[in-house]
Amino acid sequence: MAELEHGAAEPLVVETEVDGDGPVVKVSGDLDIASVEQLKSVVSSIVEKRPSRLTFDLSRLRFMDSAGIAVLLGAVSQVETVRLRGVSHAVRRLLELTGLTDVFAIES
Amino acid sequence: MDAATPHEEGATGERDAGENAGAARRWRPSAAALGAFLVAAAITAVLSVTSLILYKHNERRLLNLRAREVSLVLSAAVTSVQTPVASGAALADSTAGDLRRFRTFMAPFVGTGRQFASISLWRLGAEPRPLVVLGATPQSLPQLGPTIQRLARRSDTLNLTGMLERAKPSLGFAYRAGASSNYLVYAENPLPANRRSKLESNSAFSDLNYVIYLGRSQRNRDLLLSSVKTLPVHGLQSSRVVPFGSGAFTLVVTPRGSLSGSFFDSVPWITALVGLLVALFAAALTDRLVRGRRRAEQLARRLDQVASETRERYIEQRSIAQTLQHELLPQKLPEMAGLRVNARYVPAQAGGDIGGDWYDIVPLDGDRGLLVIGDVSGHGVQAATTMALVRHATLAYVAEDYRPGVVLAKLSDFVRSRTNDYFATVLCGLISVDEHRVTFASAGHLAPLLLNGEEGRFVKLEPEAPIGFPHGAPLRETTVDVPAAATLVAFTDGLVERRGEVLDEGLERLRSAALAAHMRDAQLLARLAEELTSEDHRDDTALVSVRWQN
Repeated sequence: MAELEHGAAEPLVVETEVDGDGPVVKVSGDLDIASVEQLKSVVSSIVEKRPSRLTFDLSRLRFMDSAGIAVLLGAVSQVETVRLRGVSHAVRRLLELTGLTDVFAIES
Repeated sequence: MDAATPHEEGATGERDAGENAGAARRWRPSAAALGAFLVAAAITAVLSVTSLILYKHNERRLLNLRAREVSLVLSAAVTSVQTPVASGAALADSTAGDLRRFRTFMAPFVGTGRQFASISLWRLGAEPRPLVVLGATPQSLPQLGPTIQRLARRSDTLNLTGMLERAKPSLGFAYRAGASSNYLVYAENPLPANRRSKLESNSAFSDLNYVIYLGRSQRNRDLLLSSVKTLPVHGLQSSRVVPFGSGAFTLVVTPRGSLSGSFFDSVPWITALVGLLVALFAAALTDRLVRGRRRAEQLARRLDQVASETRERYIEQRSIAQTLQHELLPQKLPEMAGLRVNARYVPAQAGGDIGGDWYDIVPLDGDRGLLVIGDVSGHGVQAATTMALVRHATLAYVAEDYRPGVVLAKLSDFVRSRTNDYFATVLCGLISVDEHRVTFASAGHLAPLLLNGEEGRFVKLEPEAPIGFPHGAPLRETTVDVPAAATLVAFTDGLVERRGEVLDEGLERLRSAALAAHMRDAQLLARLAEELTSEDHRDDTALVSVRWQN
């Protein structure tokens, strides 16, 4: 992630679509403490419908901090399988350092 | 605006009065509008006066031209008057006063509607006497002798004389053909009694009034003819002296109307009127703009005020929340023999809310103690109160069984049973001071940093899922040996997370900063807080350091 610029925030964009496996939430931009509420409201409206699977597509995510992780964790407690797609090295490290690699189903 | 506003106006003065709605009742223009009006009016005045001056100048020039034309016409009349009179004089001289031939020659020039009212032929001598009189008999013919004598002094030129004091004033012309001639022809034309002459409307000079004097001055008694009632004439006029025979007329002309045309006459006034309208328009526009700007400024001030009130309220609320959080954290860390324990909480800055970070040091039996540091997800007062709940629950479970893995497993079950909305990362470390050993369990929490002399490394832990997830069994424990004079630094993620970085970069920054400070034995946590949390960090941060003193 060395190519990333420090400082300037990239706006968070959250898109939702449904594929054969259930809802997919595409997250792009910076997901941090400043923008986390936006994703939170999208996720809570999805988990209300009690899907059995939920996928987060993080391939266009530029940055995520522990506040963002907390939102993903919020889905884990209510949805049977939460999958992460397009996990970058930075996100993988965050998951490893906080013991979360087993909590999510991580697509390679 | 409430009813009190108009009363306040008097006190706030003129400048503010315009900004209040109450002032709308008594409208007064703004200074800028007045200025705009005055400038536009001044420009208008200059333009009007300039065009007036140009107009007057043009009128004068035209009038001078017209006066010259009139004088040329008048000069041309010399010939028409002189020719019959001079011819008659020459005839009388050459025929030695043949009256029959004189009468025959002069008859067509005399009579009503003809060129002269009266013509007489005079024999000159000591006592000049008339030989014949054609047409009307001149008044007081007998007294004419001295006049004839005087007129005879100059010969070969048309001599003029005015009988202007008489009841019926008249103008006389005389001609003597040569200085040796014994004859003189005298012609006379009456003047209107009041010297008024009607203007003929079809005349080429119908646009002029004129006054003609006999001689070279404009004395009233020399007045011959005038088209105006009152004399002398006033205003714009042009006068010329027109030589006439041996004498002269003085001609004064004044315009009856505008010589350059009625449009040019009104240009200065049109300019003034249009300029005045433009000035009024400019003033109204300026006034409108000024008022608009004032309203905008007022609005901006109001918005500023609201913003600062909101900011103050926010800061107040935030400080209330921070006070609450501060109260929820340990007020004083317990003393433990052989250890120097420090802790620090850094609230979020720059619009950040209060968080759910906390720490505890719990002395246990003997030389043991428990280090707890944690971070409840989310922000705000709710996160802080959840943190208090989790913190006290932790203390309760520690009382039952202080193995870190067990404490965290129980805590996780407790949190799961209470809420689905919050999670917490917690690091629990059972410290055996004398054994220089710490047993850690981590529920999703970042591993602590171990500083030993020139070496600094993160403790290798196998963190499990955060508190709030089903764990079933006690969490994995990892035991590390801590050398004498070494320091453990436990922290929450706010210290190391930066936008656009892999977490490892933040950890490395912490490691090198901590190592540098530790080696200098400086105020470790204060330095870390200062170096690693910036003005704009949005997350709160907790730090605990435990140093073995031997």
